Amino acid sequence: MVVVPAQSATPLPDAIADLLGLEGATGLVAGAFVGAFLVANVMLAMTGVAGPWAKRKITAAFTDRIAVNRVGPFGLLIIVADAVRLLSKELIVPENADRPAYDLAPVVLAASAMLGFAVIPMGSGVHLADPEVGLVYVFAVASLATLGVMMAGYASDNKYSLLGGLRAVAQNVAYEIPLVVTAASVVLFAGTLQTSEIVAAQQETLFTIAGVRVPSWYGFVNPFAFALFVVANLAEVGRNPFDIPEASTEIVAGFQTEYSSVYFVLIYLGEFLHIFLGGAVVATVFLGGPAGPFLPGIVWFTVKIWAVFLFTQWARSAVPRVRIDQLIEIGWKVMLMLAFANLVFTAIVVGVIT
Amino acid sequence: MSTDRPDDSESESESEPEPDGDVEREAAVPETDPEVQRARAPATRGVDPDRLERLLGDAVLRRDDQINADAAFEVRPDAVQDSLETLKRRAGFDHLSCVTAQEYADRYESIYHLKKYADPTQEVSIVVPTSRRDPTSESAEPVFRTADWHEREAYDLVGVEYEDHPDLRRILLPETWQGHPLSRDYDRDRPQIVTLDEHANPLKEDHEAEADDSTMFVNIGPHHPATHGVLHLKTTLDGEQVADVEPDIGYLHRCEEQMAQLGTYRHQIMPYPDRWDYVSAGLLNEWAYARAVEDMADVEVPDYAQVIRTMSAELCRIAAHMLAVGTFALDVYGDFTAIFMYAVRDRERVQNLLEDLTGQRLMFNYFRVGGVVWDLPEDRQAYVETVRDFLEELPQALEEYHDLLTGNEIFQLRCVDTGVLPPETAKEYGATGPVARGSGVDYDLRRDDPYGYYDELDWDVVTEDGCDNYARVLVRLREVEQSARIVEQCVDLLEGWPAADREVQANVPRTLKPEKDAEVYRAVEAAKGELGVYMRSDGTDKPARFKVRSPCFSNLQTLPELAEGEYVADLVASLGSLDIVLGEVDR
Repeated sequence: MVVVPAQSATPLPDAIADLLGLEGATGLVAGAFVGAFLVANVMLAMTGVAGPWAKRKITAAFTDRIAVNRVGPFGLLIIVADAVRLLSKELIVPENADRPAYDLAPVVLAASAMLGFAVIPMGSGVHLADPEVGLVYVFAVASLATLGVMMAGYASDNKYSLLGGLRAVAQNVAYEIPLVVTAASVVLFAGTLQTSEIVAAQQETLFTIAGVRVPSWYGFVNPFAFALFVVANLAEVGRNPFDIPEASTEIVAGFQTEYSSVYFVLIYLGEFLHIFLGGAVVATVFLGGPAGPFLPGIVWFTVKIWAVFLFTQWARSAVPRVRIDQLIEIGWKVMLMLAFANLVFTAIVVGVIT
Repeated sequence: MSTDRPDDSESESESEPEPDGDVEREAAVPETDPEVQRARAPATRGVDPDRLERLLGDAVLRRDDQINADAAFEVRPDAVQDSLETLKRRAGFDHLSCVTAQEYADRYESIYHLKKYADPTQEVSIVVPTSRRDPTSESAEPVFRTADWHEREAYDLVGVEYEDHPDLRRILLPETWQGHPLSRDYDRDRPQIVTLDEHANPLKEDHEAEADDSTMFVNIGPHHPATHGVLHLKTTLDGEQVADVEPDIGYLHRCEEQMAQLGTYRHQIMPYPDRWDYVSAGLLNEWAYARAVEDMADVEVPDYAQVIRTMSAELCRIAAHMLAVGTFALDVYGDFTAIFMYAVRDRERVQNLLEDLTGQRLMFNYFRVGGVVWDLPEDRQAYVETVRDFLEELPQALEEYHDLLTGNEIFQLRCVDTGVLPPETAKEYGATGPVARGSGVDYDLRRDDPYGYYDELDWDVVTEDGCDNYARVLVRLREVEQSARIVEQCVDLLEGWPAADREVQANVPRTLKPEKDAEVYRAVEAAKGELGVYMRSDGTDKPARFKVRSPCFSNLQTLPELAEGEYVADLVASLGSLDIVLGEVDR
């Protein structure tokens, strides 16, 4: 890992360009590529651990089982074994699949999550880009996943896939709005859309208990918005109780029914990337980003997104799935209303204070 | 019957399986069993065949004395509906338990086994003989909705045709099958060519009339995570809602009835029932055959064996209900969840107990005609303690299920008021077991038509009035408690049983040859409901006709009632709450 000053405002590409001794456009391009390559690989490695191994272990812990323990220490080498297994499987493409869309869907799904990480400050200087509209950008690219899901749904020429795709669209529309509106309440607090600024705004001291400084993370400042955001995020990443687009006992595997081999891996990784991206957004917006005592920022950041991942797996093991109509009802009638109430309330509070 | 209750065995055994079996069987019950009498509705005590004959009027060809129901009437093939209607409306026979079709050398016969939900010991059989040249009789479907599938099966396997039937097609075999396998002139060596024509959408006509493209036909199954086996649901969806659903069964048809007909009563049939409802309900199934054959051959089972039977059967029920609840949780919760693993964990403990007792975990083959194969395992005390340990920890486990399942608000959101089956509809479809009891139908053969040692023990029949998926789950969980009560009492009895008196089998002849033309239809309360066995003897050591009345078969028939108009997610939940086992549906 590149040595850069902690909590540096300098985005990662610049630092890499400096290290390489490159300047100008060349430096920018090279730095961006190398930086993106590093971040993407770290995130992919994390999903690689999460998908075939951590998910199994966590679920097993919840259900009194042991899970993978045959290959390698703690069964960790199952990751390699699974990768080989999945990649060596035959790629079956349905006869009447709508080819470009069918092939693009997994890429769109994985890429949309990947792109989101570009503006997330991960601490220890790992921050690819810091545009002024960072938060909007994250939500915009993350929503592209819906497009991918819909493409997968209709292009597979399978009725279950179609149902899954339609469910995913309905669900994402219903939950994207509360998600964004809740995030907007944080923007009101911070007064900026720039992710680094949002993180910086959370470093101020909220209050001090017995000499321990409690930072003004928006999760502490407005726990209600935090809870709302976490729930909406569950729906956004499609985990129980909102795993309706791929409700396995109802519509087999939903939009991904017809995907096998590499395409399946891409979709699967894409889903886990989305969970991590969701975690990254939660961390950035509500949990002070990479901030934390003692340890370097990148470690805290990793801990936080894994905590969110753990939470999604917990929900998956313990909470029943709601029905699609109930989900839409919760989204439009409850979450949206609460999100707007929160926004108005926040606006009033911010207006009174300043 | 006779063999089950020791205290009135004399009156029973002499009347029961005799050829002049027009007996008032239940007349003995109220005297000996005030408990049962109190529990029953004040229906007419006993069946009066003369009164019934007057009611049926000139539809009756003759009174049949062969069947060991209270009364059996042969009626004209064109008077089936009238006769059944009369018996249903005016004599209270509201439960069409089973339809058996069979072929004789000179005729076909359809037997409608009627009972009363209020008192299943009152039985009447309507026998409809038809000629071999034109085996057509009136369908009972307009009177009893459940006759739909039963008559389709009769048509499929035996070849009797039913006029007025709404949809007389094959049900178990493929549409293209040649011949009727249980008919006398069926050529087993004939090659069967099954084309794919049958995969045409049979629902197309129904929905073309609507002239819009808003519906979508989906095949749910035969390979689908939620069908609990190889069941095929032909589903028409209107958006997310189910416009029409038609179960297509028969994928697991293994000719169980025919195989039983090829086996000897004494030993060769008993292993088959384990394969009907194969999710650990084996002993309950074995009991169905045991009860029928013991009635037919007039075998009296020793009390001690009855206690062991009762205990082991209830253990089976616990295991079966555990799996039912666990898989239902899977259907509603989604992925491999805690509740399923917990249920399987507790089922595993029951399996261990049963393995200690029977030597097997699934296909027990533990019952014998006239008793059970062997006594409790040595060391006896240790086994009793193991059972007690299990029972002691069971309430805590059940508490967990209630916390995780029935107490969960999302679970309630999903299950309360979905998959509603009103009691009247349940009766129309011949639903029994937890499905009927979840609809408030207070019907349990263990109490209402006692066998084994049940009427000596202290336990309650569980009913819930919710009529929905939630009620059915709740009934199963509460029944586990009751089963545990029964097992506990049985264990106490077994522990204190004098060593000299531990008779595990009656003295049964090596070869059983019931009298020629003796017939019997007996049912027990299996895990899923009323599991009945009809047998007719032809004087040899093998049954001439062996028919299984599967509770799942009737219960599954209610699925369209539960699911139509509901969301597809509720279709899956309703299917799970019916708790079908395809091995028993298809046999």
